[in-house]
Amino acid sequence: MKKRYIIGGVILVAAVGYLLYMALGSSTIYYVTVSELLDGGSNTYDTNIRIAGKVADGSITWNAEELELGFAVVEGGASLPVIYEGTRPGSFKAGADVVVEGQYHPDRIFRATSVLLKCPSKYLPEE
Amino acid sequence: MVDIGHIALILAFIAAVYTAIASTWGARSGSHAFATSARNGVLVVAALYTLALAAMLYAFITKDFSLKIVSDHASKDLPALYTVSALYADKAGSVFFWGWLISLFAAVLALQKHGTYKRITPYAISIMAVILAFFLAMVTLVVNTFEKNPIHPMDGFGLNPLLQNFGMLIHPPLLYIGFAGFAIVFAFFMAALITRSSGIEWIGGIRRWALFAWCMLGIGNVVGMWWSYNELGWGGYWAWDPVENAGLMPWLLGTAFLHSIAMRSKKNYLHTWSLALIIVTFAFILLSPFITHGGIESPLHGFYASTYPPYILAAILITLIGSLGLLYIRHKGFEKEEKPLSLVSREGAFLLANIIFVVLVFLIIVGVVLPRIVEGLGGGRIALERNYFDWSCGPVMLLLVFFMGVCSTLGWRKSSWSSIRWNLLYTLLPALIIAVAILISGIGNWYALAALICGFPLFTILLEWFRGTKSRRRTRGENHIRAFFALIWNNKPRYGGFIVHMGIILITLGVVGSSFYGVENTATLDIGESMIVGKYQLTYDELTLKEDNSILSAVASISVDRDSKLIGTMRPEYNYWFAWREPFSEVAVRTTPADDLFVSLVWTSYDPGDESATFRALVNPLIVWMWIGGGFMLLGGLVAFWPDRRRPPGSEVDVK
Repeated sequence: MKKRYIIGGVILVAAVGYLLYMALGSSTIYYVTVSELLDGGSNTYDTNIRIAGKVADGSITWNAEELELGFAVVEGGASLPVIYEGTRPGSFKAGADVVVEGQYHPDRIFRATSVLLKCPSKYLPEE
Repeated sequence: MVDIGHIALILAFIAAVYTAIASTWGARSGSHAFATSARNGVLVVAALYTLALAAMLYAFITKDFSLKIVSDHASKDLPALYTVSALYADKAGSVFFWGWLISLFAAVLALQKHGTYKRITPYAISIMAVILAFFLAMVTLVVNTFEKNPIHPMDGFGLNPLLQNFGMLIHPPLLYIGFAGFAIVFAFFMAALITRSSGIEWIGGIRRWALFAWCMLGIGNVVGMWWSYNELGWGGYWAWDPVENAGLMPWLLGTAFLHSIAMRSKKNYLHTWSLALIIVTFAFILLSPFITHGGIESPLHGFYASTYPPYILAAILITLIGSLGLLYIRHKGFEKEEKPLSLVSREGAFLLANIIFVVLVFLIIVGVVLPRIVEGLGGGRIALERNYFDWSCGPVMLLLVFFMGVCSTLGWRKSSWSSIRWNLLYTLLPALIIAVAILISGIGNWYALAALICGFPLFTILLEWFRGTKSRRRTRGENHIRAFFALIWNNKPRYGGFIVHMGIILITLGVVGSSFYGVENTATLDIGESMIVGKYQLTYDELTLKEDNSILSAVASISVDRDSKLIGTMRPEYNYWFAWREPFSEVAVRTTPADDLFVSLVWTSYDPGDESATFRALVNPLIVWMWIGGGFMLLGGLVAFWPDRRRPPGSEVDVK
C-alpha cells in the first residue's frame, strides 16, 4: 500500500518537474535598463528582453504601408533605437512611457515583438 | 443620503463585531439566548449593509461627485447603465460589493430552518460574522469607501471606455457571487470541523451552495473571456494575466472540491482532502484582491492598483494556516476508510483527477509568483511569457478533459474489467476512429487530438443517457423524449454534472480551434483596396467620421467576400475619447458555427484628406462554441442546483 503511494508520488513529481522544466525553458523575459543593454554587448543577443522608458522626441517614424514603427527609447540618459513590425498603438506619441519586448541584435537595433503603453494617469486620477 | 450610507456601514461594522463575539460565545457555551441574538445580529448586519449599498448606488446614479469613489470612476456623460459598473471599477468598491453579497447570503442562511443541522449552524454563523467584520473593517477602517472630496468637483474622471461594455457590467458581480458563496461553504465546513460533525445531515444543503458558487464563478470567468475578446481588440480571450488567474484558480480548486464531496464511498463527508480543498479555495479567493494588475506589465487589466496594506495579507495567511492547523489536529480523529481505495474505480479516478486539478493550480501559481521569488533572491527582474502557461497548463487541462470520460467509465467501488471493456467499445473506440479519420483526411493533427480527448467523455455521456433512457422506456413504458427528460429530472446533480461536462467539452473545442488554427493578417488599406484573411476577402469601401461631445469616431465600412460572393458588411470603429485623450478600437465580429471573422480598425489619421486605415483581421475557428459551452455550464449548474421536492433535505443523492 505504502509502496503504491511512493511510486505514484515519484511519477507525479517527475511529471510536474518535466512540465516546469519544459515550459520555463524558453519563456523567461529579462528586465534590462537601456544602459545595461548597451553595455552588455553580445551577451544580450538572442535573449528575450523587456525594456521600459520614454519615446524620444522626434524619433518616431511610422510606415503605414509596411507596418513598421521606428522610434528610440530613452531611459537614464541612454537611448536605444527600436524597430517594431506591427500596428501603431493608439496613444503612441513622443514622451509616452512604453514597455518594449523583443531582442537586441548585432546591428545595434532592438527588434521589438511587442510595444505596450504605460499611462500612469490613464486609469486612475493623478494622486 | 450619502451620510446615511456611511453611518449605516459603520453601524454594520459594529454589529458584525458584536455578532462575531456573541455567536462564538453562544456556540461555545450552547447558550440559546446568545445564539438567537447572533442570528438576529447577522440580519441586522445585512440590513445595514444593504442600506449602505443603496446609498452608494444612489450616489452613483445621481452622480454625486462630492464622493471620491464617484468622481474617480463616473462622469456626467457616463450612461446610467454603466454607473453601476463604475462601483466595481474601484478596488474598494469591489470589496464593498463583495462583502455585501456575503452579508446577504449569511442572512439567507440565518433565516433558514435549522432543524437539520442545528449543531453546526451557530459556529457557521460565528465564522461568517468574523468574515463580515473583516470585510467591513476593510471598507470602513482600512479604506473609507465613503470618502469625500476636499472640494466638490464639477465632473468626474469617468469610466474607462473598455469597461463600458455589457460583459463588464455582469462579469464582476458573477465572480463576487461565486466568491461570496464559497465563503458560506467555507464557514459550514469549518463549523463542521470544529464540532466534529460527520456531514450526512448537512452536506445536502451545503453542496447546493457550493454548486451555486462554483457555477457563478465559472460563468463569471467565461463572461470575462467574452469581454476580453469583444472589447479589448487583441483577438484573444485569455492572456494568463494575473487577474485572470486570480479568477481561474479558485474555480479550479472549487471544481476539485465539488468532485471530492461527491465521492460517496465515504459515508463521512468530513474528510481531510475536501476540507483542505475548501480552505485553500477560500484562501485563494481572499487573496485575489492582492493579485494586482501590475499596471505596466499587464495592459489588459491595468485598471487599479492595490489599496490594501500588508497586514491584511498577514490576516489572510493566518486564517489559512490556522484553518489548516485545526484540520491537521482534527484529522486523526476522522473515521478511517474500511477498505483501501481501488485505483480502478470511480473513487480512485476522482482522487486522481483531484490531484491533477491541484497540480494545475500549482503550475499557475508558480507562473504568477516565480518572477517575484527570483527577484527576491537577487536574480534580477524577470517575467514569464504566456508560453509558460500554455505549455505547462495546456497539456494538464487536456488531460483533465479526457479524465471526464475515465471517471464516468469506471463504476463506484470497484470495476470489473469486462464491464469497462464493453464501455470503452462504445466510447473510446468511436472517439479513436474519428480521430484517425481526421488525421488521415488532413484536417489537422490538433483537431485529431481534440477529437480523441473530447470524443471519449462525450460518448461516455451519450452512452449514459442512451442507457438510462432505454431502461426507463423498458421499465416504465415512457416515450423517448419523456424518458430522456425524466432521467435528468430524477437525478439532477448527476445529469446536471453531465451537462456541465458537455459545456467543458465545447469550450475545449473552441480553445483548440482558435489556439492552433487561427489566421491573422494586418494591412493598411486605401479606399477600394482589399486584403485577404483565411478564406475571406475584405474590401475597404468607406470611412465615416462622426463627432459628438465625448467621442470622435471613425467608422470603416468593409465588404466581406467569400468564394467571390459578397456575404456581408462589417463596421469596425476607431473612437477617440476626448476625456481620455486616446483612441479605442471597437471591433466588428462576424460569427458562424465554423469560425469568427474578427476585424479591428487599429489606426487611421482622422484627417478627412487621408482615409487610409490599418486593419487587423483574424479568423478564429470554433470560437462561438466557447460561449455556447458557457451556456451549457450555466444550464447544467441550474439543473444540478434545482431543489428536489420529493427527497427530504439532507438525504443522500446519487452524485456524479
